[in-house]
Amino acid sequence: MAELLGYLASGLVTGAVFALMASGLTLSYSATGVFNFAHGAIGFLAALLFFELTVGFGWPSWLAGVAAIAVFSPLLGYVLHRAMFRGLAQAGETAQIVGTIGLTIALPALGLWLVELAAEPLGLPPADATSLPRGLGPYPAETFSVAGVGLDSDQLITFAFAAAAAVALWAFMRHTPYGLRMRASVDRRRLATLRGIDADASSALAWTLSSTLAGLAGVLAVVTLGLDSTAYTVMLFVSATAAVFGRLRSIPWTFAAGLGLGVVQNLVAGYADFAEDITGLRTAVPVILLFAGLILLNRSTARVAGSAAEDAPPPDHLAGLPPWRRRLPWALALAVLLGWTLTRSAGDFYVGVVAQGLVLALIFCSFVVVTGIGGMVNLAQASFAAMAALTCGWAFASGLPFPVAILLGVLGATAVGVLVALPALRLGGRVLTLATLALALLADQVLFQVDAFSNGTIGWPMPAIGLGFTDTTDPRVRVVLLLALIGLVALLVRNLERSASGRAILAVRSAPAAATTSGISAPRTKILLFALASAIAGLGGVLFATSKGSITATDLPAFAGFVWLAVVVLQGVRRIGGAVLGGLIAAVFPELLAGWGVSAHVGAILFGTGGMILARHPDGVLAQMAEARNRLLRRRPPPSPPRAEPALRDAPAAEPGDGFRMEGVVAGYGDVTVLRGVDLAVRPGEIVALLGANGAGKSTTCAVAAGDLPVRAGRVLLGGQDVTRWPAHRRARAGILLAPEGRGVFPGLTVEENLRTWLPDPEPVYERLPRLAERRGLPAGALSGGEQQLLTLAPALVRPPRVLIADEPSLGLAPLVAEQVLALFAELREHGVALLLVEEKATSALELADTVAFMSLGTITWTGPRAAVDGERLTTAYLGVTRR
Amino acid sequence: MRRRTVRLAGLVAAAALAAAGCAAEQRAGGTGTGAAGEAAGVTGTAVRVGGVLTKTSASGYSTKDAEIGARARFERANAAGGVHGRKIEFVGAEDDNQDAAKGDAAAKKLVQRDKVFALVPVHAPNFGGAVFLEQNGVPWFGWATGPQWCGTRTGFGYNGCLAPKTGAGSQTWWGHQMADLVGGSEGKTVYVQTTDSSGSKYGGKTISQSFQAAGFTLVGLNSGLPAAAPPPDWLPYVNKIMTSDAGGPPDIVVSIIAGTKFNTGLYAVLKKAGYKGLLTDATSYDVAILKDPATARALDGVIAAPMFEPFESSAPEITQLKADVEKVAPGAELTQHLAIGYWAADIFLKVLEQTGRDLTREKFLATANGGFTYENAGFGRISYPKDHSEPNGCGALVELEGGAFKVARNMKCFANVPLK
Repeated sequence: MAELLGYLASGLVTGAVFALMASGLTLSYSATGVFNFAHGAIGFLAALLFFELTVGFGWPSWLAGVAAIAVFSPLLGYVLHRAMFRGLAQAGETAQIVGTIGLTIALPALGLWLVELAAEPLGLPPADATSLPRGLGPYPAETFSVAGVGLDSDQLITFAFAAAAAVALWAFMRHTPYGLRMRASVDRRRLATLRGIDADASSALAWTLSSTLAGLAGVLAVVTLGLDSTAYTVMLFVSATAAVFGRLRSIPWTFAAGLGLGVVQNLVAGYADFAEDITGLRTAVPVILLFAGLILLNRSTARVAGSAAEDAPPPDHLAGLPPWRRRLPWALALAVLLGWTLTRSAGDFYVGVVAQGLVLALIFCSFVVVTGIGGMVNLAQASFAAMAALTCGWAFASGLPFPVAILLGVLGATAVGVLVALPALRLGGRVLTLATLALALLADQVLFQVDAFSNGTIGWPMPAIGLGFTDTTDPRVRVVLLLALIGLVALLVRNLERSASGRAILAVRSAPAAATTSGISAPRTKILLFALASAIAGLGGVLFATSKGSITATDLPAFAGFVWLAVVVLQGVRRIGGAVLGGLIAAVFPELLAGWGVSAHVGAILFGTGGMILARHPDGVLAQMAEARNRLLRRRPPPSPPRAEPALRDAPAAEPGDGFRMEGVVAGYGDVTVLRGVDLAVRPGEIVALLGANGAGKSTTCAVAAGDLPVRAGRVLLGGQDVTRWPAHRRARAGILLAPEGRGVFPGLTVEENLRTWLPDPEPVYERLPRLAERRGLPAGALSGGEQQLLTLAPALVRPPRVLIADEPSLGLAPLVAEQVLALFAELREHGVALLLVEEKATSALELADTVAFMSLGTITWTGPRAAVDGERLTTAYLGVTRR
Repeated sequence: MRRRTVRLAGLVAAAALAAAGCAAEQRAGGTGTGAAGEAAGVTGTAVRVGGVLTKTSASGYSTKDAEIGARARFERANAAGGVHGRKIEFVGAEDDNQDAAKGDAAAKKLVQRDKVFALVPVHAPNFGGAVFLEQNGVPWFGWATGPQWCGTRTGFGYNGCLAPKTGAGSQTWWGHQMADLVGGSEGKTVYVQTTDSSGSKYGGKTISQSFQAAGFTLVGLNSGLPAAAPPPDWLPYVNKIMTSDAGGPPDIVVSIIAGTKFNTGLYAVLKKAGYKGLLTDATSYDVAILKDPATARALDGVIAAPMFEPFESSAPEITQLKADVEKVAPGAELTQHLAIGYWAADIFLKVLEQTGRDLTREKFLATANGGFTYENAGFGRISYPKDHSEPNGCGALVELEGGAFKVARNMKCFANVPLK
């Protein structure tokens, strides 16, 4: 019993560190949509700083703790937000994953490199396996016995800090305006900006907080983990399990799951002796739970996955060139490479390096298939390569002919690829990525530890591939063979893109829902791609092994796959050319660095920093080059938007400096221009009804008015001041309030919290609307449609804005409720608010309006007093005929 | 239609593969053409050598000190006029980052670009260049901790092959030296703790056997510790140890875990739980530990088991080693890795000397593998080709006492037993 209690107590301590780590992960993910794989690396940096301050500079541990946790970590979070995360939030999912993985590689290397540089002059202790970091508490730790359970001071401090951080985080999120704004941004980001919440500032705050939590976890864990950056990455993966069990949304659940994970790990270590025969199984418990969690909790993650930004392909800047011209640079490069290769000797070192680069290039081609075409991110590519090579080695060693062994290896990798993809594919991008991550770790920790499969640590010898007259021990032969294979894969990829299945794949990628309704099976197409990519990676793995002469379980570690992904995406993952360039760079670059006597850390930093570049240019170096060429060649003048004839004015124009005005506004989405010169004015105390048929541009007008959509030409004025360049949150603070189409409430926040996003004190609203007072503790999503609309508009009653824009306010409301809403508008008019009511149907809004504007095809076709509106005018307005 | 395209492409790829693999043949063991035959890396006045070490790695493990050791030994040889009139031109050591592929590339770079004669020292736990070196007949000297060394004709472990296959000889010195230290193994029990990886489990097997061969009773062999990082919580493992000997603690706990961090964690919790027996491991002979008083205290009484004569020894060979190191790197700390680099270089020089003035790789290998035997108080004795497939069976014990290391047992060799 005491033993069990001991496991529970110390498991909770371990779990507390996981919980802190995972809470930070959940916090930043839910606030910004970026899943930060570098969260563990941030913890490592904080721990490294803490170590150097305490052991190197002799600071007292509390001071070093404050410096590392409360100063350095938040600062690092903020800097990363400015430099990278802010850009990443708008980039596609692939760029997000690769960018943060790049950081995972670069940050620890940067820290270690700085320590390396500073070690000599400052006399700092080296940060390697020999370093002995200490914790926040007394050193050495003191031991206490609580109810028969022995705990030391470091453990107690860890638990106390974790508990304090949890309470502080909870209080911050629930009871401060900052927490409320952050939660509102998480709930409905767009609406939050319309309420004057600066979503960017909220993101910065989220990253700062999350980074602080990582720093705290890192410093608390350094006593047990030591200064081993991989240990921190492993800890991040364990924490990711907790975050997944918290559904990547709920911080309390994440915290609880983290605690539970610590206890489960202890119980498995203490009692699951039956698992001892399978090496690595007990280590892999969190990974197995991660896999299970991803699949079981799919429903909640589907929403998250759906919110991801789409990866639209970049414009093809070379589209205008004839095919021969497009291929010319590649053909030239190929000829030069072949010519150079064939003039070198068989024992030439650099030919060997190039051959190694081409092996990597072949493996990288699998990224082109799965990520470039399929839009999925696979972190287990190194494991697929290793799996195929080991299977091939095993089959060959058991006496099968080599070609059969190769085929078996490739098929084996393909089969595993399908097995992983099957349950995870339907669940969206990040879930699939995490599932492949779980697979990569599982392969490293369990499958490759099976002696029968990997032949212990010695691995399998691999023969050279003979071609009759020569064989692949000669690196020149390898170069030629690999070029031929890559060419074959390139052909395959081209055919795939041009075939019906390729078009289906692209359809699935750019619009999954639409593709499904058109009868294209998204999962089947994706599984096909996944299988193909696994097969290519497998083939690459076999060739890797034959050129090395043997394959062992540790030759292609899971972590290598992360670096590969960063390298290939940096060159451009949509084309084979990017993969080839990536492979050559990955092989040649470290040689160059070593030749110049530069620290190996610098290489890691450079590869990792690619992630930051990616945040700005998600399509890689090759696309960049094509774009640069394009800009040089064609300096086309920007297309001038067609300016429509000024609308007829039956009513006198409002005096400038009064109310709200739009002048000649042109705006649209992408290449489509929706508003073609809109002129509209609303004076204080006036209700303008904007009417028009579906698709006339009414909602776009609302978006432009609120600052949600940038203007291409024209001006937006508030009280005579030009607010055209102001972002949405600034306009909201200046008094432009948009009640968007549908309901303008945060469904995840309570009624009270919804009101607080606009009002410091919601009491007056309750006095006016007792129904809301009864429901103040309920989440707004649980209210009826009418109540939600009242909740949207009620704050305006207490703190009237200067301009209220309501997009389809009565849509879908019962007549009785609609009347109540209109009464609210009338009341606001009394307060001097300028009201713009946008309706598709000329119903009740028309009765209330002072002025009516008709809109058609992106312009205002008629404006005038309500009295001048009759049946004929309505008909012409809706039919889009302009009366001359 | 779309299915056919894909299937067609798949078929083409498979056919190409089959064509490529048709004439496949195993060429392992054959000499490479070109570079191997001529006296590569040898001139009338110099022999060029270079090493591969794990200088930096993600886990922080580093064997970089081996470069100092090797350089110190080579400098002495050069100061004495070289070997048969040839000076040793030491080009330094490449870093493999504990990455097998990088180790392979480093070996190729040294042989093909830098044109070295042999690789000295090779001290990288995950060295990936073995197949290339064997195929090209390039000798390599270092610490043979992995199976890639064993059974080759070119890989020379300074104290033999430490990863023998089942049936080959396995060391018993650790058990015997411990038995001598505690005054006999009669009725004494031992518990072996490893991590959850196949390499560490293998170590657990050989070391359990070493203690059993010396007459100890094995009461536990646990490999539950997570391999990647120290467990956040040692309690479950310590509970098992404390009850392994019929409900009580064993007399000796052997830790086969790499890293001071792991060991200090385990020992501290064991002592907290009231363990009074002996603790022994292979890695605690490390001066870095002495610099940190608290760790030194946590490890007090631990018996470390180095595979070379301890630096505290009064043997003349060790005095010489210290003097050599002082010349090339004044004030350098004496570490395990430094000793390994030094002794690997020492054995290489011995073979070079016995090969004679007429030097090629083939002649060098013929000498080394033709009944070469060399005894030295620094590492015991070595004889090839026998020690290509088994350890030399020698080791010493060092005790950490009151913040200083002292020799508990000097270097001594014991007969190997076949590995079960």
